[in-house]
Amino acid sequence: MKITSYLIIISLLTSCSEPSEPEVAWKSIEVDLQTLLIQAEDGDTIQIPAGNYMFKKSLILDGLTDVVIQGAGMDESTISFALQESGAEGIKAANCTNLVFQDFTIQDAKGDNIKVTDTKGVRFSRVRSMWTGDPKKENGAYAFYPVLSKNVIVENCIAIGSSDAGIYVGQSDSVIIRNNEVFWNVAGIESENCRWVDIYGNNAHENTGGILIFDMPGLTQSGHTTRVFDNDAVSNNHENFAPEGNVVATVPPGTGIMMMATRNIEVFNNRIHNNRTVGATVVSYVLVEELGAEEGSQLEAANDKIDESYDPYPNVIYMHDNEFKNDHWFPTFQNDFGWLFFKEFPFATPDMAIDGIFSEDNAFVMCLENNGEFKFANLDAANDFEGLTTSWEAFDCKGTSIAPIF
Amino acid sequence: MSFFTALKSHRVAIILIAFSACSNPKKPIVLEKVSLGVESKSDYPMLLSEWNLFKGRMADLIPSESVFAYDINSALFTDYAHKARFIRLPEGETVDYHPTESLDFPVGTVLIKNFYYPQDFSRPKENKRILETRLLIHEDEEWKAIVYQWNDDQTEAEQVILGATLPVEWTDKKGELQRINYSIPSQPQCKSCHEFNGEMKPIGPNARQLNTKYQLEDWRKSGRLTGADSVQFPKLVSYLNESKSVNERARAYLEINCGHCHRREGPAKNTGLYLLTSQTDEYRLGVNKAPIAAGKGSGGRRYSVVPGEPDRSILAHRMTSLEPGEMMPELGRSIEHKEGVALIREWIEELVN
Repeated sequence: MKITSYLIIISLLTSCSEPSEPEVAWKSIEVDLQTLLIQAEDGDTIQIPAGNYMFKKSLILDGLTDVVIQGAGMDESTISFALQESGAEGIKAANCTNLVFQDFTIQDAKGDNIKVTDTKGVRFSRVRSMWTGDPKKENGAYAFYPVLSKNVIVENCIAIGSSDAGIYVGQSDSVIIRNNEVFWNVAGIESENCRWVDIYGNNAHENTGGILIFDMPGLTQSGHTTRVFDNDAVSNNHENFAPEGNVVATVPPGTGIMMMATRNIEVFNNRIHNNRTVGATVVSYVLVEELGAEEGSQLEAANDKIDESYDPYPNVIYMHDNEFKNDHWFPTFQNDFGWLFFKEFPFATPDMAIDGIFSEDNAFVMCLENNGEFKFANLDAANDFEGLTTSWEAFDCKGTSIAPIF
Repeated sequence: MSFFTALKSHRVAIILIAFSACSNPKKPIVLEKVSLGVESKSDYPMLLSEWNLFKGRMADLIPSESVFAYDINSALFTDYAHKARFIRLPEGETVDYHPTESLDFPVGTVLIKNFYYPQDFSRPKENKRILETRLLIHEDEEWKAIVYQWNDDQTEAEQVILGATLPVEWTDKKGELQRINYSIPSQPQCKSCHEFNGEMKPIGPNARQLNTKYQLEDWRKSGRLTGADSVQFPKLVSYLNESKSVNERARAYLEINCGHCHRREGPAKNTGLYLLTSQTDEYRLGVNKAPIAAGKGSGGRRYSVVPGEPDRSILAHRMTSLEPGEMMPELGRSIEHKEGVALIREWIEELVN
C-alpha cells in the first residue's frame, strides 16, 4: 500500500506540470440532441454519433416511453459537461417508462452524471460514466443515479471518480447491478433504501468502499432483500474524498462490503481481497450517525426525530461461501476505526466486523457459513468496546437463501 | 451512548498532507456545431404577438379583453428580475377554489409571466427591458410550458425552445450598477420546478399566494372564483414584510423558492427535506437532518440546518453557492440573493430556543 500511496502523490504532482490528456476536438450537438429528446416519440432510438461532444446545460428527458439513447460505443461517443453552466446533472430523466442508455461515455458533469428519477424501467448498458483526472472532492456525487424507480438494470458499465458512489441506486425496487467495473470512487456501488436488489458479477476495486448496502432514515421507503454475490471487492483502499456531511464520508478507506441498518441480505461467493481495514462489515445507523456528528451536537435529539418507521439496526444477514484475503499488515490510518483495529488487532485486521449495537426489541440474526479462514470482530461499540470479541461462534449457523428477483 | 470519545482515544496521530493547488488556466474551447438533421418545431405560435394577450404597444403589457393581471404575496427570486403576471381565462369560465394547491383553472387557461428589468430599480416603472415571457397553457390533459424571448427593440418576442443567455445590467436601489448573465430556461427545464406528482403544474397561483389585500376577495365577489363561498382564505406573508416575524417570513421564502421541489409531491422528494409552510416537523425542515444526495453541495457541513449556526447549515451554503450541482435552487439564479440569504440566516440563528 505504501507503494500505491507514493504513486498517487507522484501522479498528483505531475498533473500540475503538463496537460495530461491529449487535445480533444470538442464539438457541439447540444441543441440538436435536446431537440430530438423533446420531439422523441414512443419507441424512438436517439443516436449519439461517434465523436466528442461538449454540453453547457443538462440534457433533459421527460415522460418518454420505450426510448433508447444509443451511442456508437463507449470508446466512440463521448459527451462531456466540463463546461456546464446550469443544471445539477449531466443527463436528467424523469417520469419515463422503459428507457435505455447504451454505448457511450459521459463525463465531468458539475453534479451527477446521469440521474433517472420516477421511472418505470431503465437500463444502462455499456456506458462509461466518469470524472476525468485524479479522484477529488470537486467531482460530482454519482456517476449512475437511478432513484425512485422500478425495474432498474445497470450492466456492463464503468464508473470512475465519483465523490460519492459510482453506481448509486436509491429508493428503488427490483434492481439488478451486474457485471460492472467501478473504481476510484468513494463508494463503488451503493444501494440505498432499495428493495429486491441483485448485485452480482461486478468488479469493485480501488474505491474507498467497494459495495455498500445502506438504509437511511427519513426517506420515501426503507430498503431490504438484497443479494450480493459473485463479485470481486478487491483493494478498495482509496482515500475517502467525499465531502463531509455525506454518509459515505464516514466509510473507512479499505472497506470491501458494508451493510448499514439494512435487513434480509445475502452475501455469497464473493472474492473479498486486500481491503486493508475490513473485508465485510455490518453496522447500525446509530454508529454512522455518531461518527458523522460533530462532538457536542445533539445526537440524541436528532435520533428522536427520525421517523418511527425507521429501524436503525441491521438484521437477518446471511454471509456464506465468500473468500476473504488480506495481505495488508495495517488498516487505514485515515479513519478512527483503522486506529481502533490497529490497536486492538495488531497485524491481524478483521476480515469481518460488526459494530455490536443491537436493537432492544428484535434479536440480531446473522449467519456466517463456509467462508473459509477469516478473522472476525464484534466491536461491542454499544458498550464503548468493552466487550469486544473475535469469536463468531454465536453466528455459526446456516441461514435462508433469498430467491432471485427475476 | 458515548463511544465516540472512546473511539477517538484510539487515534494516535493525524497526518495532514497538503497539496498546493495548481491552477491550470483553461484554454478556451471552440465548439464546432454538428447537425443531427433535426428542425425545432412547436405546436404553438412562434411569435408572442400571435397570442393577442396585450393591446396597443405590446411592451406596455396592457392586457387585452380576456386577460387580467394578478399578483402574489411572496415571489420566487430570479436574479432580481421584476415580474408582471397575467391570466387569460376562456370566455365564460371561472376558477375553482382549492385550499392548498394551485387553484383549479379551466382547460384553455393561459398563465402569463413577463420577466423584466427596470434600468433603475429606484424608478421601477420607467425604462423597462422585458427579457422573456413564459406561458403555462392548460390543455385538455395537462399543462404545457412555452417561453418567448423579447427582441432588443421590445416590439416582438419569439419562441425559444432551448433557452438563451443574455447579458443584463441595471442600477440597484443603492445606485450601484449590477451586471449578470441572465438565463432564459429551456422548455424542458420548466418542469424541473413545475412538477407535481410527475405532471406539469402551476406553482404560484394558490389561495395563500393570491390572498393579497383584496385580490381573492374581489375574484370571489365578481364570480371569477367559484367554490369558495364561505371560505376563510389562508394567507402567505410577504417575506419582504418586516412587520411579520422572521419565522413567518423565512418560511414563506423557503416555500416559494424551495417548496415546489422540496415537498412530497415534488422532484426533490427523494431528499426527505420538505420546505412548504405546512410542514411542522423540524427534522423534515432540515433541523439536524443529514443530507441524502447532496454531494459537494454539503459544503462540508453535516446537517441541513444546525439551529443557531447558519455557517454550519447546508441550507445557507447552497443558497450562497453559484456552482451548478451545488447551488439551490438548481435553476434561475446566477447571483446570490443577499436579502434572502440574510433572512434565512437570521431564521437559523433564531431557531435556538
